[in-house]
Amino acid sequence: MTLLDQDTQPSRRQFLTLVGAGVGAAAARLGAEPAFAQGGAPVKIGVLAIRAGIAAPVGAAGLRATEWWAERVNKAGGILGRPVQLVVEEESNPKDTVERYRKLVLQDQVEVVLGGISTGVTLALGPVAEDLGTPWLSWDGTTQKGVEETMPNPRWAFKSVDNEVEAIVAGILTPKYFKGIKTVAGIGNDYSYGHDCWESYQAVLKRYLPDVKFVLELFPKLGVTDFTSHIAAIQQSKADLLMCSFWSGDATIIMKQAAAVGLFKTMKGVFTTAGGVHDSLKKEFTPEGLLLGYNTMYFDDPKGSALLKQFVREYKAKHNEYPPYECDHAYFNAESYKAAVEKAAGAAKRWPEKAQVVKALEGIEIESLSGRRSWREDHVQMCSFYQGMTTHKNSYDFVTISPVEVVSTRQAMKPAGAKLFDWISGWKI
Amino acid sequence: MAAGLQVVFGVQKIFNLACGSFYALGAYAGVSAVGWYASAGGPPALFVVPLALAGLAVGAVGVVVERGLLRFVYDRDETFQLLLTFAVVLMMEDAIRMIWGTSPRSTAGLYLTYGQLQLLGAPVPVYNLIVIAASLVIALAIGWLLTRTAFGRIVRAAADNREMAEALGVDMRRVYAKVFTLGTALGTLGGALVIPATAAMSEMGTELIVEAFAVVVIGGLGSMRGAFVGALAVGVLRSIAISVYPELEMLLIYLIVIVVLVLRPRGLFGGAAA
Repeated sequence: MTLLDQDTQPSRRQFLTLVGAGVGAAAARLGAEPAFAQGGAPVKIGVLAIRAGIAAPVGAAGLRATEWWAERVNKAGGILGRPVQLVVEEESNPKDTVERYRKLVLQDQVEVVLGGISTGVTLALGPVAEDLGTPWLSWDGTTQKGVEETMPNPRWAFKSVDNEVEAIVAGILTPKYFKGIKTVAGIGNDYSYGHDCWESYQAVLKRYLPDVKFVLELFPKLGVTDFTSHIAAIQQSKADLLMCSFWSGDATIIMKQAAAVGLFKTMKGVFTTAGGVHDSLKKEFTPEGLLLGYNTMYFDDPKGSALLKQFVREYKAKHNEYPPYECDHAYFNAESYKAAVEKAAGAAKRWPEKAQVVKALEGIEIESLSGRRSWREDHVQMCSFYQGMTTHKNSYDFVTISPVEVVSTRQAMKPAGAKLFDWISGWKI
Repeated sequence: MAAGLQVVFGVQKIFNLACGSFYALGAYAGVSAVGWYASAGGPPALFVVPLALAGLAVGAVGVVVERGLLRFVYDRDETFQLLLTFAVVLMMEDAIRMIWGTSPRSTAGLYLTYGQLQLLGAPVPVYNLIVIAASLVIALAIGWLLTRTAFGRIVRAAADNREMAEALGVDMRRVYAKVFTLGTALGTLGGALVIPATAAMSEMGTELIVEAFAVVVIGGLGSMRGAFVGALAVGVLRSIAISVYPELEMLLIYLIVIVVLVLRPRGLFGGAAA
């Protein structure tokens, strides 16, 4: 029923638009109101953001960027003249989030849902999105089980970059920056992301350095705040290099506790994802010369666009923080939706059906905060990853990176339909 | 913090889930206090002073929670206490989020101010030694308070037999308020002291609570010595597990609990309190 109602809505609107066009002069006078010339009802856009727990800062970043985008779009006249209205719901556990997703689509009647960070949740959202027939664009969540794709050909679901890409990028960059590495220890959180990153990193590094030995792997559970014992074990392992995929407050904590015992005086370090909490990595305890990953957006990119610079400036002014990568995922999602609607609307500027928007999204490329980003034909985000060596040579009280390495998902993400480890072992090196 | 839990449970027979939140509250207050201290130009070497004071000061929340909420459920079933203190946990988590935001907070590099020492061939941050010393002092102070002072005797009497103590003219309301505040202050102080070495996160309280309960169960409900030994045992065994067989790390604490419960159902020092 509800689906039917939704389907009839756009056509009624189209009809009115046609009538309006026919009336001619009268319509022109109506259109004298500059903003939202078509006088259209607001476009409702659903947003799912994590508000609590360990990923709350990430959720906040995504939401802030979406709000920044909405404000900008509305100032410039909305999408096809319709103002944007965000309907925000919380992402929590899979069951409740699925309920809120249904509420957004069925009750609030949003045109599109943006958001979703935890893969545990988005795995559950994928099939629901297919079922409800409304486009869903995920910020940071995939529909992967481990490193395997569970929904290779979705119709309505658009997914984030594969989880393991930053570990793969770090694996590619490790031999370039750390010569003569023979032994490697790893630490990650004890859930899918931590394990997948470690597996992928090992697979990639082994391709470049076939003799490398992995001497220790530690998987403390998410939320642990004391790594003293882990660091002692890492020291005992006498590894040449430590790979760490922490991305939340725990990255800051392990950095601090490692500094307290001088871990990185003797050991090299790779932090694939700690750029997520980059402005908490203070110079006092974060050494230079670590490989640090910022995921898909580096706020201080010397080659960054005017859009990025404006965003960073306004974000800092409003929230007193420097934006992390989640902002870029969120901005890209929202902006690509707008671009797809405008593309599907065509010259007639008629509000498109949801299915037409989905068609337009496939393969679309737009300017995001971090640069050009696109949707692959199988609904996976394509973008660039920013990693580099930590440096103290900046005006902040935390580390930044120089030089900045930019690796595209075209190089570091498995192609559609490929099996990850077969793909890696097939690389020509 | 386990000490706080013990004092409160021993005397009031209350399962205080909110102790985790007090710990988190102390941590955040500590971060803020140190932040103000640093921006006011205080010498970094003395940062532990505002840190500890902030930890103790927010312990005053204990009075509010006890007088405002807990006193209504003393005579009810334990489930009410659990529900109520759990509600406090949720509210405090949100309150912390409102006041301090969602991002993890840390005290920057102060942890490293005191440098490190070589102990038995391994570098140990001096701050860790300070915390260890502080916890010993706290343990001794509580021991002294409970065994050598009039207040301590009343507390022990109340723990032993509430009706009898009341019959002898002890104002139980005041004792309860004081004891609960003491327990809270131990939690908040613990949170404040530990924070330079880590970072404050709004959910840190819930993370810790399981561990604190395990420690208390191992040591024996209501026993201070038990809390001390239990905490030590869990900490040391976990460190050993991480370097010998890392997969065991998470399971270990529960294994110890199971073993202790099977062999000594009242915990290692449980007999003393019963």
